[in-house]
Amino acid sequence: MNADLIRVHLRSSAAKIMNSLKLLPRRIFAFVARDFRLFVSYRMQFVLRIVSVLGVVTTLFFMSKIFAGFTDPQFSQWRDPLATWLTGLAVLNYFMTGFSSLANSIRQEQTQGTLESVLLTPINLPTVIVSSSAWDFLETTFFSFLYLFFGRVFFGVQYRGSFFLAVVFLLLTTVVLACLGILSASFAMVFKRGDPFGIFLGAGSALFSGVFFPTQLLKDYAGPKLGSISLILPTTHGLQGIRQVLIEGHGLAEVTQPLVTLLGFLVVLLPFSLWVFGRAVRRAKREGSLIQY
Amino acid sequence: MGPAISIHNLSKTYPVPFRRLRAFFRRPVKESVEALRDVSFDVNTGEIFGLIGRNGAGKTTLTKIVATLVQPTTGTVVVRGHDSVSADEHVRRQIGLSTAEERSFYWRLTGEQNLMFFARLHGLRDRTAKQRIQALFARLELEEVARRRFGELSTGNKQRLAVARAMLSSPPVLLLDEPTRSLDPLAAARMRELIRSLAQQDPPITILFTSHNLSEVETLCERVAIISRGRIRAIDTPQNLRDLTSGSETVNITVSSGEKISLTRQHNDDRLDETIRKLQSEGKKIIDIETERATLLDVLERYEAADERK
Repeated sequence: MNADLIRVHLRSSAAKIMNSLKLLPRRIFAFVARDFRLFVSYRMQFVLRIVSVLGVVTTLFFMSKIFAGFTDPQFSQWRDPLATWLTGLAVLNYFMTGFSSLANSIRQEQTQGTLESVLLTPINLPTVIVSSSAWDFLETTFFSFLYLFFGRVFFGVQYRGSFFLAVVFLLLTTVVLACLGILSASFAMVFKRGDPFGIFLGAGSALFSGVFFPTQLLKDYAGPKLGSISLILPTTHGLQGIRQVLIEGHGLAEVTQPLVTLLGFLVVLLPFSLWVFGRAVRRAKREGSLIQY
Repeated sequence: MGPAISIHNLSKTYPVPFRRLRAFFRRPVKESVEALRDVSFDVNTGEIFGLIGRNGAGKTTLTKIVATLVQPTTGTVVVRGHDSVSADEHVRRQIGLSTAEERSFYWRLTGEQNLMFFARLHGLRDRTAKQRIQALFARLELEEVARRRFGELSTGNKQRLAVARAMLSSPPVLLLDEPTRSLDPLAAARMRELIRSLAQQDPPITILFTSHNLSEVETLCERVAIISRGRIRAIDTPQNLRDLTSGSETVNITVSSGEKISLTRQHNDDRLDETIRKLQSEGKKIIDIETERATLLDVLERYEAADERK
């Protein structure tokens, strides 16, 4: 009897999951179409962002000229500082989206007052998580690509190695950061403001992940304790892997260490963050504070 | 046919967030707010059920619990056989909620784009969604404003759009929170007609209706629950509720000579017939008859006064 009940329960759960998966593309499309329409309702902002990316790339080009020929041979990824900065910025841009997109979407829906309307439709939490970040990723993919594109077209930056492997690193690191993003969104759901994850990762990534300078310098100048902070940030490992592939031309066998580290982060953070988010939504429903901000 | 909504011993106390943390830091700790206490009633399939009470009486909390947006502290809500906590996704497939809250739409999107977004979230295919949206716009007389941004719409049109959104997935249960609040008298009358027709269609739609317009509730609802300070004080037909307060009514008769006659009678007794016969036998012409009977407002006031005395 119990076995029958379990079988029925499993079958109904499987049917639910299949149904959600079947509807997932339509729901993602709903969010993307909505956000695209909202995005094009502010056309000026779009043009200005393109101009600002070009401005940053040009500034970095001239800054890189100061360091031409001075690179320490132990920092092989930094022989062409412009290429290293551009990959750093493009990738950091992507990582920050992975990290902050969901919390921002939740906060925006809370301040607009639309979160209740969205949660009133028959969609489950993982769908809300995936769908509400989809447009941000598309937008960031475009702007991250612009950094690399402007560098290549206007300033002759050369990239080598497998783009496929670089994309694997990019996706993996983004998913890991999205888990932290889910924790951050849970925080926004309950505490509304003052998210410590945002402060730590936002300020910490640029300083400790090697976006603008090699992480080795941190150890040399600030000591091994402060220098080892970079090791607990997924962005450090993601950036290291992508640069090894795109700048040094390494293959899969040479980048297993950052790859395995990122997988380790993922295995721990994904179930934990989904559990915390579910608890946060339940708590907000208990307190009746879904649309408060 | 079983009840469409079944509410059983429902209580809701809003907890004070981080009570222990506040106490630890010796910050003032507010009392928890008890919004609902031991609420139980059923709403039958195809019934228009009214919920009336003062601001803060617990109407919105109750509606939100049925809509799965707020979790109850104790008790259960079952919508067409699905529990609102353990099967919340199923419950959301069964209901449409319309509130007077203007902030629940995307202001830079048009009315049509807003509805399309929610239709997709309900899993509707684009072609079906478009057909349904057009039909709803026609039914709610929103065609002219369909392509205007939500932020540019009048309050009344925003409210009609909220009703259209609630009906988007053709749910068998509608929760309508003050659906005529911002409508002009003509539009309000049409909305009432629409609500009535929804309950009469085949298959019928069950409607849980809250409003501060008590004459509207009296006209529309088959049964009404009076909620005061989180407790259901009475549930019955509007007629029976009025009779609970006062079984009598005052009839004012004006005759052609200008004379005014007033009589108080019990509901359905013969005193009015007798008076009219007497006036006619005296050759007097009746110009006007006016009846003053207890309204839902009197009933509501009676329960509020009783609560205040406690």
